[in-house]
Amino acid sequence: MRSPTKIHLREASYAFPAALFMVSLFAFPLFGILYQSFQRNDGDGLTLGAYARIFTTPLFLRVAYTTLEISLGSVLCSLLFAYPVAYFLAKQSPRRRALYLILVLVPFWTSSLVKSFSLMVLLGHSGIINQALAAFGISPVKMLFNRFGVMIGMSQYLIPFMVFPILTSLQRQPPELGRAAAIMGAGKLRIFTRITLPLSLPGVVAGSLLVFILSLGFYIIPALLGGRRDIVFGNLVNFYLREIINWPMASAVAVLLVLTAIAVAMLLSKIQDGSSMLSKESS
Amino acid sequence: MEQRLSGWRVALGFVVALILLFLLLPSLITIAISFGNSNQIVFPPRGFSFNLFRRFFAEEGWVSSTWLSIRVATLSTFLVLMLGVPAAYALTRGRFPGRRLLALFLLSPMLVPHVAIALALYVYFTEIGLSQGELRLVAAHSIATLPFVIVTAGAGLRHIDPALERAATVMGASRLTVLRRVTLPLLTPSIITSGLFAFLISFDEVVISWFVARPEYTTLPVKMFSSIQFEVSPVLAAISTMLTALSVVICVGVAAVQKEARSA
Repeated sequence: MRSPTKIHLREASYAFPAALFMVSLFAFPLFGILYQSFQRNDGDGLTLGAYARIFTTPLFLRVAYTTLEISLGSVLCSLLFAYPVAYFLAKQSPRRRALYLILVLVPFWTSSLVKSFSLMVLLGHSGIINQALAAFGISPVKMLFNRFGVMIGMSQYLIPFMVFPILTSLQRQPPELGRAAAIMGAGKLRIFTRITLPLSLPGVVAGSLLVFILSLGFYIIPALLGGRRDIVFGNLVNFYLREIINWPMASAVAVLLVLTAIAVAMLLSKIQDGSSMLSKESS
Repeated sequence: MEQRLSGWRVALGFVVALILLFLLLPSLITIAISFGNSNQIVFPPRGFSFNLFRRFFAEEGWVSSTWLSIRVATLSTFLVLMLGVPAAYALTRGRFPGRRLLALFLLSPMLVPHVAIALALYVYFTEIGLSQGELRLVAAHSIATLPFVIVTAGAGLRHIDPALERAATVMGASRLTVLRRVTLPLLTPSIITSGLFAFLISFDEVVISWFVARPEYTTLPVKMFSSIQFEVSPVLAAISTMLTALSVVICVGVAAVQKEARSA
């Protein structure tokens, strides 16, 4: 008979190569920028200078505000668009649902560059929409290189990310609940607002936090579809690294970004633990 | 009552159709444009030709960056499969202290913004003097794809009944034989699925590559990204069509593998 602890160690050892890889190429580099963020740009010695400068430059504060605005906006927009899709999918038979899901999965797996380029083709100054408007003698509308463009691009990218968690929480609801309420005389709207919607809130919250984390770190879409004023954290890191060549400042922005993401992720795991406990209690 | 219910349904279906159209239509328009024969972006496209695809193969640099992307994606896919599948086995089958923490650590690149990973790797590679362009990209992409392999392979492992492995052990099969003859064959669909997704993620990866790539090592997405910033060139429509085709092929491949596995 093998001793149980020995078996455990053997199985754990299978994760060793991956853990070593992650320590040397993920944890180490991240601690590297943490260290870097306390460095002086011109030489040696530790300092809080980068953080002090960041929190006093109007540029950083404006970018932080823009990032927050765009992230919250993206959460709201993608939630608004994703909920009906998830609700619709949940109501389908499994066969049809699998079929319709492809329509969400293909954009999910399409390159973000392809999506951004396609939106530029569609919304640009001489883009397809404006070509169509011109045919009716309407002067071109500016839909690109401004906040509108960013929001369209972000929502288009993020909707699938929001659909999946909401769909999961909708599918977890026992269908008998709705039927029971209908038998007792509740109308469609009442069933939705009193049963379906509240029970799907864990999915809504999980999706929203996920989308929020993703949009905090966005880089490509604001860079391509946004205007001069739509600079977010991601673009700021690039700006400090390449234009100003100030590694401590770039690192400090990245560190703050990671810390925010970790905080939101912890909130997310707390909510998921809570909701799984709830479903265990009810079953 | 019935009438009103179906009216509600139709309205929902209409709204959902509009949203799905918003997700799909821009890419479909770009695909249509890529087969047009003009050197400008017009819709509906005039005529039908492969001119833009010909330009892709003729213009400087596109083909070589495509090859680089294929090489990097292939190498990093192999690397993460070698690392990720055993790790998934350890996390699903093992019962050891710190397992949850290890899982959290190995999956954390999913939640850390890619810009931060990109900067961290850029600084790190500069400090340790790793200047080989292709190696930088393979290492960086592997960090981004490893969590997906662990999640997908882990889900596959959870569907394999451990009793099968135990039965083989009881009948005298060695540990290696069980792994080779029972676990791995059952896990093959998940390994293929995670490999396909890892390849696609690596092939499409922009942000990390944009920071980490050296000037003479531009992957296809990096070259695309810098090109879009210059001008909305119609060649990009042809590339978009090919990239979308790759995504669809991989999605279909994954669906086929999963269906095969379920019917087996």
